[in-house]
Amino acid sequence: MLTRRHLLTGAALLAFSGWASLNPAFAQSADPGAGAFIQKLGTEAINSFANKGQPKPAALAKFRQLLSEGFDVPYIGRWVLGRYWNQASPQQQQEYQKLFEQLIVKTYADRFVEYSGETFKITGTRPEGESDTMVTTQIIRPAGPPVAVDWRVRKRDASYKIIDVVVEGVSMGVTQRQEFASVIQSNGGKIDGLIQALRQKTAQQPG
Amino acid sequence: MMPATAIRSLFRTALAATVALALAGCASGRNGTGQDEVYDPLEVPNRFVFAMNDAADILVIRPAAEIYAGTVPDPVRNAVQNILETLLAPLVIGNSLLQGDGQNASDATGRFMTNAILGLGGVFDVASTAGIPAYRTEDFGQTLGVWGVGEGPYLVLPLIGRSNARDAVGYGVDTVADPFRIATSAANANGVLYSRSAAAAIDTRSRLLREVDDMRRSSVDFYAAARSLYHQQRNASISNSTSAGTPEFPEFPEDAKPNISPLR
Repeated sequence: MLTRRHLLTGAALLAFSGWASLNPAFAQSADPGAGAFIQKLGTEAINSFANKGQPKPAALAKFRQLLSEGFDVPYIGRWVLGRYWNQASPQQQQEYQKLFEQLIVKTYADRFVEYSGETFKITGTRPEGESDTMVTTQIIRPAGPPVAVDWRVRKRDASYKIIDVVVEGVSMGVTQRQEFASVIQSNGGKIDGLIQALRQKTAQQPG
Repeated sequence: MMPATAIRSLFRTALAATVALALAGCASGRNGTGQDEVYDPLEVPNRFVFAMNDAADILVIRPAAEIYAGTVPDPVRNAVQNILETLLAPLVIGNSLLQGDGQNASDATGRFMTNAILGLGGVFDVASTAGIPAYRTEDFGQTLGVWGVGEGPYLVLPLIGRSNARDAVGYGVDTVADPFRIATSAANANGVLYSRSAAAAIDTRSRLLREVDDMRRSSVDFYAAARSLYHQQRNASISNSTSAGTPEFPEFPEDAKPNISPLR
């Protein structure tokens, strides 16, 4: 009888915890402010995307503004470099961070300008790691099935910043970290190899 | 008595799944892959095959996919995709059962029967109209993963593309077990089989035009980015979750206020 009761209690706990993690209102440490932050940032981005009338430089400036408002780019850059950060000189660190931000702008700014009617809805929030909140969203596209995109949000002082984006289970941070590590390794473990590659990448036709 | 037995068997399944996942974790960890790296001891030959595949993509597959997406109307493309899905459904049903995922097997069976019979082999997606839930695609590589088999070395196969030891075995088993392949080879109609493979390749590629272009444009090492994506996508498919295995994001206290302002 004891075993069965244990099993029942265990099952009940499992069911309960499963329910709790699915129910955003119940996840105690999921910060409701993080969801509001993503909602606001996303709405602002879409309003700006949809404004097709604005000239390209203005759209680019808006993109940079949203990027610095919404994302902790220096943190992401440093995290992506991983263990190689400490091997880099201060000058290398500084140039790397500058190039990393340019790479992001170059990669995503065009998408921003070519916006074609995607919308998003927040499907939940859950606590992640020690202090972060994962805001799960669905990007609804005019054609094709919706895409699950999760935003890892960290609160520092009074402001929220995105520190990772997970698209259908693929972390953008992890992908870039593995990619950059591969470039450094194929250059004999030298960070200069990566910096050189980033220079070339960001110098190609301005995005 | 019944509920207790049911709960016990559920609990056992959950326990078995947990153990299998933990084993899979150990198995891939044993290969010496940290969170930062995908185990790739054959990187040199892999890069060579990757470059060949990439050239084939740029010269043939991508242009064909672009023409397909640009000229064939959406309803026809959706019908093609639906027929291809219907042909693969028996494998999904089998693999779902092998993974102990009765719900997915039943959803796949429901869609398969409805679309194969009422939808004339998948030409019409009657199942969606009828509100039969969508199912997840499951293959034998994923089944092995659920059973606790580690991914082994990363592989890039000619034309088939990115894989690893586990998924290559899975691909082989799926190919051999595929009822459509068995039926077409029995009827001496290998041409039909090859047409399906070509159609599947073009259909899949045509839905990823923007994504692959973006990746090609933004990556400093396209091979490494593609490898990382594959590794993460497969792990997500095996755990049937888009939120598994999140890495740690520590604070960096020694430069909480970095004197770097990349926005200037």
